[in-house]
Amino acid sequence: MKKRNHISIRAGFLFALPAAIYMLIFVGYPMIQNFILSFKNVDVYTFSDTAKQSFVGLANYTELFSGEEAILSTAIANTLIFTVISIFFQFFIGFGLALLFSKKFKGSSFFRGVTMISWLLPVTVAGLLFKFMFASKGGIINQLFMSLHLIDAPLEWLLDPKLAMAAIVVANIWIGIPFNMMLLITGLTTIPEEIYESSKLDGANKFQTLFQITIPMIRPAIMSVLTLGFVYTFKVFDLVWVMTKGGPVNSTELVSTYAYKLSFEQFQFSKGAAAANILFLILFVVGIFYIKLINDEEEVM
Amino acid sequence: MKKEKGNWKFFIIGAIVFVIFIFPLYWMVVTALKTQVEIFQIPTPLWPKDLTFDAFADQLSASSDTLRGFKNSVIIASGATVISTILAIPAAYGLARFKFSGRKVLILYFLMTQMLPSTLILTSLYIMFSKMGLLNSYLAPILADATLGIPFSIIILRTYFLSIPKELDEAAKIDGCNSITSFTKVMLPIAKPGIVVAAVFSFVYAWGDLIYGITFITDPNMRPITSSIYNYVQQYQTLWNATMAFGIIAILPVVLIFIFMQKYIVSGLTNGAVKA
Repeated sequence: MKKRNHISIRAGFLFALPAAIYMLIFVGYPMIQNFILSFKNVDVYTFSDTAKQSFVGLANYTELFSGEEAILSTAIANTLIFTVISIFFQFFIGFGLALLFSKKFKGSSFFRGVTMISWLLPVTVAGLLFKFMFASKGGIINQLFMSLHLIDAPLEWLLDPKLAMAAIVVANIWIGIPFNMMLLITGLTTIPEEIYESSKLDGANKFQTLFQITIPMIRPAIMSVLTLGFVYTFKVFDLVWVMTKGGPVNSTELVSTYAYKLSFEQFQFSKGAAAANILFLILFVVGIFYIKLINDEEEVM
Repeated sequence: MKKEKGNWKFFIIGAIVFVIFIFPLYWMVVTALKTQVEIFQIPTPLWPKDLTFDAFADQLSASSDTLRGFKNSVIIASGATVISTILAIPAAYGLARFKFSGRKVLILYFLMTQMLPSTLILTSLYIMFSKMGLLNSYLAPILADATLGIPFSIIILRTYFLSIPKELDEAAKIDGCNSITSFTKVMLPIAKPGIVVAAVFSFVYAWGDLIYGITFITDPNMRPITSSIYNYVQQYQTLWNATMAFGIIAILPVVLIFIFMQKYIVSGLTNGAVKA
């Protein structure tokens, strides 16, 4: 018996090993390299000449935060605004739709299924589609607003620093709603029908049922959606890169797009690495929170 | 009787939500079928009055980037899917079926890698691939895209393996299977639906990737389709009918997968994210 256990222990580990090694080579190692790189001075001049590369301590980080052209603080603020507003709307719309589509009515599963597609589309294409819809010339959003007499002249959505953020947030909300909806519907289906029936017998109205039964019972799903949503939104790159490239005048510059520009447009690889590490640090804190969350849940189950 | 009425109310709300939600896709198709003149008309018509397939014809002509990008994406996404699925199946099985020390750490490790931003490893991967001479080859995005699919596939498949009754393994053992043969002869055939879902997700992730594609491949002949369309728009700023036709071709595989596998995708998504 003991021997068999021993074998099965080794077998389990061996089964998981190839994937673990692959991820170590192509994710773990680059992460460590990225960490080291961020303390060096690798740029377009020193890239191919390792002799000229040296450690510069925290110089890249301090420059990112306080250098003359540094916009990292702006990028972090933009990323937070982008994330919080996106999640706020994604969550509430997603929750509303989850409540609606968890009811059985004609067409409910069809409507629910089709809304899923925005989540699966390549973000690049979704971004271009929204770029077109927000275009000042030929864009349908301007036309809609003008026909409703909300505006008199076409707005330059993607060229006006104040409006560009709104445009990318709207696009991101459209992409993210199905994810919120599906996870919340799954949560809703775990609530036994009897609980609703007995609350009805007790004379609870719809709002009481929602706030005192539904929401507390799907709390784990809600927390999952919010933390995962935060992580996924905070690292968005493609959408913004395609729609605004961080512009105009850095008004939609996110940490991810800024890190990319540093590394692959200005070829300041070390600075780009440092910016990416800051992004990671923020996500790491939220990620720990999420993992603690699902661990607690697993113990309950 | 009362119930019927309530249903109609929900149906109407549901239909309105559906129309609003699907409008951007409708608009993409309509725009691809319009002439440039109609696109910039004020107000622009809500359906093509002067229906034309020219935009599609241009995109599908031999000299265009579209088909080349499509072919490149098929190669890259398939490669990434094969790597990711082959590695994820045994890992998920091992993590679902055996209790060993470090199991939890490994699960957390895969969970964490799923949350990492691509920019974090991008610069180092670029340097690594450039040293290995892999830039401008299919292998670079294939290797990188597989890292997107592996963690998600492991999580989905683990849930799947957990749902298969343990008695099946034990029966296989009694029949003389060892860990490996009970895995290949008993578990794999049962887990087929789960494996298909995992593979589909890996494919969709790799197909949608932009950042690895634009960074590792600068040769226009090798670009995946997301990178091609991105570069196309840079070049032909306001040629929206052509861009939308390009976009429709680029999303075609995903839409087809979605139509035929919707049920599995929904279960995969929720399993991967909630149960972990």
